[in-house]
Amino acid sequence: MKQFYTAVTDLRRRVTADFATFPYETGWADEATYFVTIEESSQHAVGVQLAVQLSADGIRWHDEGTTMSVASGSAEFARLTHFGGFLRLAGTVESADGQQDAWVVVTVRLALKG
Amino acid sequence: MTSATLLPLPGQFSPLSRILAADDFDRGMNGWMDLRPNFVDEGFAAHSRELDFESWGSVMLSSATFPFAGTHGSASGTYSLRLATRSEAAGATERPASGSMSLAIKRLSRPLRATRLKVEALVAYTTEQDRPGLGVDAMRAFGLFVDLQDGDHRYMPGVRYVNAVDGVRVRRWQYYTETTASASEWNYGEPGWHQPGVDPQWFGERHADGSTAATAWFEGPQQQLIYNETDDKINWMPLALEVDLVARTYTSLSAGDREYSFPQKARPTLAPTYDNIGGLVNPVFFVETDGDRRVSLYLDSVVVSYATADDDRAGASR
Repeated sequence: MKQFYTAVTDLRRRVTADFATFPYETGWADEATYFVTIEESSQHAVGVQLAVQLSADGIRWHDEGTTMSVASGSAEFARLTHFGGFLRLAGTVESADGQQDAWVVVTVRLALKG
Repeated sequence: MTSATLLPLPGQFSPLSRILAADDFDRGMNGWMDLRPNFVDEGFAAHSRELDFESWGSVMLSSATFPFAGTHGSASGTYSLRLATRSEAAGATERPASGSMSLAIKRLSRPLRATRLKVEALVAYTTEQDRPGLGVDAMRAFGLFVDLQDGDHRYMPGVRYVNAVDGVRVRRWQYYTETTASASEWNYGEPGWHQPGVDPQWFGERHADGSTAATAWFEGPQQQLIYNETDDKINWMPLALEVDLVARTYTSLSAGDREYSFPQKARPTLAPTYDNIGGLVNPVFFVETDGDRRVSLYLDSVVVSYATADDDRAGASR
């Protein structure tokens, strides 16, 4: 049978401005699905913009091309293949009025199969 | 099937006569996962909030791939279990910072008539090669303990290799010992779910030399484990801890090619029992960073074995 593992790489993590999720090794997997939930948000935060990133070494990152837009109070997912050895999400918290102190509490789950 | 055929690398391990688990991470996670709190409060909140229990670095299957060396692989095959921290640490005397540790747990239970339990692993560690130089002092510590509960006590025998504290080299092993801390002292001044002695990897006063309210140093010279000469070379080293489940004491520790003797009275704190975990046998590995760098502990194969009273009698009569 195939291997399967879901890692909760970022659990209820409060983020502001630009952030990156916990880098995760994915070399064994053929497919990956990122699930992103916004659990809480500050008054002016409207959500997060996320870009899937991959890496050859877990240190230097490239945009993979897939993006996600997650509104406050909602959840989204993105399906991925052919991503090499490391994955993470690079994100930006978006606010209605451009305030830099807008925050959200985000949970990120990475489901891997291969 | 004999014990030896269950083991991925028989020459690396000296298990007791009965194998409880022989986990080769080329065959998946084998039930090892992140150590997380109990999500039993309102809104699935964690039961305990003395520190951030939700941001420890997630454990993963690793190929040990580095920027310049490429893929290191494991001692046998490609994959090992990697415990990786985030890049933030608290000072030596403070409670652990958010994400400063990574912990891997496997949840088992006590087998019939078990008298001794042994946990062995092949381990390697390194610092993320995110800057030039040698990261040999970036890791504060790594270690291994077993969360146990019998009919009378919950207790956690364990060992911790203290590598560096606030940048100062230590390179010595310590073991979890009895604490006289009150519940409030144990839980950083808060009432706390944790009885004194429970979860010494997080709780109890921290001291500037790397000791804690529930740790004692082994006597003898320092031990410099193999870090190698650059952050992208790792060496697989054997680590083995054996405990006496009847006396609730330590039997032996070996790390690399060195054996350690426990003082006669060495024992972990014997805490009261908790509900719903009688017979618990949960081995846990952990790693801690000392500063602003990510550090990783790699495990290639973990073997958990035990002996029974019958085995002990048979051994004595030989």
